[in-house]
Amino acid sequence: MKVSVTRVYPGNFKSLKPISEFIIEIAEHLGFSSSEVYAIQTAVDEACSNIIDHAYGGENIGNIKIRVVETKKSLRIMLFDQGKPFDPDDIPDPDIHSPLEVRRERGLGVFFMRKLMDKVDFDFSSTEGNKLTLVKYKGS
Amino acid sequence: MELIITSFENYDLLQIAGRIDSYTAPNIQKAIKSLISDGRFNFVVDMCEVIYISSSGILTFVHQQLNLNRQNQGKIVFAGTSDLVYSGFELAGFHFLFEFFDDVQSAIDGF
Repeated sequence: MKVSVTRVYPGNFKSLKPISEFIIEIAEHLGFSSSEVYAIQTAVDEACSNIIDHAYGGENIGNIKIRVVETKKSLRIMLFDQGKPFDPDDIPDPDIHSPLEVRRERGLGVFFMRKLMDKVDFDFSSTEGNKLTLVKYKGS
Repeated sequence: MELIITSFENYDLLQIAGRIDSYTAPNIQKAIKSLISDGRFNFVVDMCEVIYISSSGILTFVHQQLNLNRQNQGKIVFAGTSDLVYSGFELAGFHFLFEFFDDVQSAIDGF
């Protein structure tokens, strides 16, 4: 039987730990390696931090709904929020080779998501709000 | 996250356990900033018990190292960082900024 679980967390930084524990438990259950589990955990943590910081613009403004679905080939994690539309594609990658003093750090979380997951998709609808989908293929 | 700070003659040892994320990183930032204000400039961060670090956690250490650079003294070094936690520094391109030692004693010997 394929896994499909939905949970809702308050949009604050205190939720990051229980969210990570939830994600780790499922990723481990699906047989991802320890480095893959860490990558998935990081991507979701960064996504949730961005929702709080950028979509909601602060803590305790709204909730984060997380739906985790196992498909035949992948783990698909969907994050929903009701904040401002926040499209990761609008955030340029940081230049990680530029001198430290001039380096701009905005976008590091999105950069992590893109590097650590196989797919990062953003969608917005007036009814559902923001929907960020993170996909990790099994055995990738 | 747990943070224990022990001050020695020429360095401060920061023993951290648990997660360093957007919830916990501000506490670490506050502690290091306060120590720098008190004239403490060398830090050994014991990462043996750290199980996760986010980009905001990494940036906390980067900003405080930049703070030290501006004062032309001191450094932050890490001890016992696990491969998974180190991978975050590597991915962000900040692994060149810091020295990473296998254990606390080796890190202390660097001062």
